[in-house]
Amino acid sequence: MNTQPTFKLTTTINGKPVDAEIETRTLLIDFLREHLGLTGTKRSCDMQVCGSCTVLVDGKPVSSCSILAYEVSDRDVLTIEGLAQKGELHPIQQSFLDEYGLQCGYCTPGMVLATLALLNENPNPNDSEIKSFLSGNLCRCTGYFPILNAVRRASERLAQEES
Amino acid sequence: MLKPFVIHEPRTPQQASELLNEYGWDATVYAGGTELLVVMKEGLASYAHLINIKTISDIHTIHLTDNDAALRIGAAVTHRAIETSSMIAAHAPLLIEMERSLANVRVRTMGTLAGNLCFAEPHSDPAAVCMAWPGASFELTSTDGVRQVLPDEFFIDLFMTARQENEIMTAIHLPLLPPGMGSAYHKFVLLERPSVSVAAFVSVAGTTIKSAHIAVGSVGPVPYRATAAENMLLGQTPGDEPYRAAAEAAASAADPVGDLYGSVEYKRQLIRVLTRQALQQASERAMGVERL
Amino acid sequence: MLNQKYGVGEKAPRVDGPSKVTGEAKFTADIRLANMLEARVLRSPFPHARIRSIDTSQAEALDGVVAILTGTDLSDIDPYFGHAVRDRPIVAIDAARFAGDPVAVVAAESAHIAAEALELIQIDYEELPAVTTIEAALADGAVRVHDTDALRLGLFHGLGDFKPHDNICYEHHMTRGDVEAVFAEADAIVEGEFRFPAVYQYALETHAATAIWHGADQLEMWANCQHPYLVRAELADMFDLPKANVRLHVPFIGGGFGSKSYTRMEPIAAAMARKAGRPVRVVNSVTESMWTSRRHNMICRMRTAARADGTLLARTAEMWLDTGAYADNGPRVVATAADAAPGPYRWTAYQIDAYGVYTHRSPSGSYRAFGATHLEWIGESQVDQVARKLGMDPLEIRVKNLLKPGEAVRTPGKPMDADLIGDIRKVAEGLEWDKPRPPGVGRGMGIGLLAAGSRPVSTAFARLESEGTVTVMVSTSELGQGARTAMSQIVSQELSIPLSQIRVPDGDTMVTPYDRSTGASRSTTLAGGAVHLAALDLKDQLIAIAASKWQVAGSDIILRDGRAWVGDQSATLSELLFYHFGFSGGELFGRGIVRPEQGQGTYAAGPVFWEVCVGGVEVEVDEETGRIHLRKIVSVADVGTAVNPAMIKGQEMGGAAQGLGNAIFEEMVFSDGQLLNGTMADYRVPKMDDIADEFVSYIVQNEDGPGPYGLKGVGEGILAAMPAAIVNALADIGIHLNELPATPERVWRAIQQSKNV
Repeated sequence: MNTQPTFKLTTTINGKPVDAEIETRTLLIDFLREHLGLTGTKRSCDMQVCGSCTVLVDGKPVSSCSILAYEVSDRDVLTIEGLAQKGELHPIQQSFLDEYGLQCGYCTPGMVLATLALLNENPNPNDSEIKSFLSGNLCRCTGYFPILNAVRRASERLAQEES
Repeated sequence: MLKPFVIHEPRTPQQASELLNEYGWDATVYAGGTELLVVMKEGLASYAHLINIKTISDIHTIHLTDNDAALRIGAAVTHRAIETSSMIAAHAPLLIEMERSLANVRVRTMGTLAGNLCFAEPHSDPAAVCMAWPGASFELTSTDGVRQVLPDEFFIDLFMTARQENEIMTAIHLPLLPPGMGSAYHKFVLLERPSVSVAAFVSVAGTTIKSAHIAVGSVGPVPYRATAAENMLLGQTPGDEPYRAAAEAAASAADPVGDLYGSVEYKRQLIRVLTRQALQQASERAMGVERL
Repeated sequence: MLNQKYGVGEKAPRVDGPSKVTGEAKFTADIRLANMLEARVLRSPFPHARIRSIDTSQAEALDGVVAILTGTDLSDIDPYFGHAVRDRPIVAIDAARFAGDPVAVVAAESAHIAAEALELIQIDYEELPAVTTIEAALADGAVRVHDTDALRLGLFHGLGDFKPHDNICYEHHMTRGDVEAVFAEADAIVEGEFRFPAVYQYALETHAATAIWHGADQLEMWANCQHPYLVRAELADMFDLPKANVRLHVPFIGGGFGSKSYTRMEPIAAAMARKAGRPVRVVNSVTESMWTSRRHNMICRMRTAARADGTLLARTAEMWLDTGAYADNGPRVVATAADAAPGPYRWTAYQIDAYGVYTHRSPSGSYRAFGATHLEWIGESQVDQVARKLGMDPLEIRVKNLLKPGEAVRTPGKPMDADLIGDIRKVAEGLEWDKPRPPGVGRGMGIGLLAAGSRPVSTAFARLESEGTVTVMVSTSELGQGARTAMSQIVSQELSIPLSQIRVPDGDTMVTPYDRSTGASRSTTLAGGAVHLAALDLKDQLIAIAASKWQVAGSDIILRDGRAWVGDQSATLSELLFYHFGFSGGELFGRGIVRPEQGQGTYAAGPVFWEVCVGGVEVEVDEETGRIHLRKIVSVADVGTAVNPAMIKGQEMGGAAQGLGNAIFEEMVFSDGQLLNGTMADYRVPKMDDIADEFVSYIVQNEDGPGPYGLKGVGEGILAAMPAAIVNALADIGIHLNELPATPERVWRAIQQSKNV
């Protein structure tokens, strides 16, 4: 039945090689959620405003709702499912728990991954840098203060692990 | 929901242009996709052929050109690459200020400066900045050749530019600012895109304003140059009074419409405020050591 | 961290936290059934139109389209729903009543195909005149949105006298004393007309529902609904099934805030799956969710009268709330708005007249702190206005007039059950009210009441299995408010076991027992009350078993560290069950039922409790652009007893952010019935860089709530208080507003106006 233009996608998702024959128009979010069952990536605004669908491509944050799966050919994609290693939470995840930086949890995967992208390039951000970087990720539950605290704590925690 | 399409991967601008010639209205240029895919998802546009210009090899870099007097930013360079470029930081730091506040980091990661300009969304940040940038030009390439187009010829109407159907923008040329020139970009943002934005470039010699370039964005279909305001400033001593007068002139030159971003009256007020602030900062920078 | 006991009052970690930071937590749209179809909804482009005919033939011919649902498919069921007023068809039957009203549904093998099929459906509309504003709907000779004579009451109307007429869906009146006589005697009178906007709740997760039929008479669904038992009842009634044949699963919900109260997309999914003969999933876009539920916009006229010494004497308020094309929860919102109109003061007289108005706009329902948010800023701005007229301090006039515990709020109803004066003094403390304000800085406070708790009917049971784990069966939906953590803490407290030994699974109407709803700040008080009773029941059984095992009196036994003790002898819960059943198997049930008493008792008279809506802010304003900057927010959570102080603070911060949004950013803009800002690019909610410089949070614990440990609910009050505090803080620096949101432009205009005066 499928007569639409397709292509063969070769990529790496959460460290694992993935090959798939998919329609060219497939959005990354739908590839992750519907083809791979990685439903941790959430759709909300569907137009790159809210950040719920954030995943990292080669460490950089993108809105998976508005990029084609085609774009991750031969790249490394990190989704929320790939962050904890062997059941051990990543320090950012632990910081979100410690600071109550989540409530309903719907923005959380995007928020955690955006935080990782921030701390990767700026390990010790000040409050205004945190707010500026994360102002593109919407949360309707927490009022953001606990998320700000979680990012601060994650930054400290990662610094401690380094030393 | 996206309609089906195929993606073409040209290796040269000429190949891209050939594909555009071949498919005509059924094809469009695809780079970051940040604007394009959203309108296609909304069903506002539909193309059976996307010409992915990211596969063209020599449009991915930022480098100095014209004997180091200008920057050439390749069409596939993303906002984020500009924002984090040491070359840009050294030679055109205003672009970094503009890029830092453009949309959000995800859009900047995927989206390209050239794509933003070609899309010609009326609330574009780069459009306003380029419109005011002294000597800025856009390089358009097709099978017919290469041409340079000035911003005020390029932006024709909302979502409409001077780019021909078979052309792709291959680069943005931005001359480095001469000594004694300062720049600033101020905007007021309430919704996702700016309500009003103002870019100003001012050069000062001694205590006299030698030139002023002011562009106002987001209030009309395309950014406009506030030429009356610019002319008023020539020969003046930098200061609050001439800036207020110029800001008033910039505001009267606007022809805004009332919409979600504000009423006509309020938009004029924002133009007034932002123009004054931008002129103030640009001239301070012109007179300071900072070449921004 | 979960391996320890966290009793009541402790900062327990969220029990749902680990699954939410790893992406394991499942939400409705994450669930995929075998053979499932994707549904898409075709919606009316017109605010009011007769549907002459629908031609689905081209769409049906599209490869991959399985079935299309239109109004003509609904003749064998009762297609109307609405818990208050049964005015809403699953899809339009005769007419579309708002731009966005569902008209047809396509179920297809993929979402792409379903979307493509929508474009192939031909509908012959006859556009009809529409009333798209409150004023138009109230005008003489206005077109009727519904034939009010034909309207039926919903299953859960609770409306008392229901006499809809013209475009008035519902009205509610409250009277005390002789208002005009008191006004005639007053020394100071203030009056004004105020406007409150239509607001979108924006739960990040949009409405979603998945349905599968097992045979012709068993319906199973997954839906992000706040009130599964009420939705189940409506579905059962529509499809003429026993309620027990409708099974609703409620996975994690990605924010509710009232937007997922009552029945939403469930009937569409159920009817579509029935026709397609296969499972169907429907997921709204944000725009569709905006059309599905919103907050009522409102026009209100209010007058307040006082004596020269600052005694508040009388108030009148008339208000018209736009409920849109369907009543939804409008009647309750209207009644709650009326309740909130007098404000928490000792009035000699008041006259409150509240109306819910049908219009050809998208329907309005619940949104966190409804009614109170509509009215508190109006009433509180008049209190400040009176204070300014009389040269009194805003704190002083409130302290003088606020109700004291035990004083009547309204009749009938529960008397005042909180220390309001203590609460407002906390706000003043947090704002450093006595200290001089820096130039250009305004301070404001607001206090109000919200009739909270809805109907006090909640049940729960707790299963203690032989390995010592307790599974708490309770139908509270986990929306992010932390219900599962609070329930776990109550069990941890009573049975003295660590959180890791406690499970609170998804709601499932086949398994988890009846709960009226998840809303109105009721869950910890009422469902928590049921869980508390269930835990106590288990505890009694365990003590009896231990007493039998050791042949001592039950009163000699205590539970501590996950064990039962008598003297220094002890046994784990697992050992007690082994003793009881004679092998490692069997289980104990604890049961808890909360219901209103007949006559006297905690829940005999409503509301369950009065939620205190109190807070303060400090603001400054950029005079040139009108942009408001929040320097400080002060919140006071008057909770009786805090089960989890950290999560209460989270509720306060989150509620304050929404209050900020309602106060200064958010408005659904309509033009001729069309929503102009139906995406998140144009509908502005608070972002991280909008937060206040400082957040001061107090938790007041007077153990004066009706729930276990003297607790009462929280989470809505601060939302209602924020617009009031912000409007008063602006007035403090000479900026007077009678319309929200206080957008930069409105503030700038108000500044221009004050300069011209």
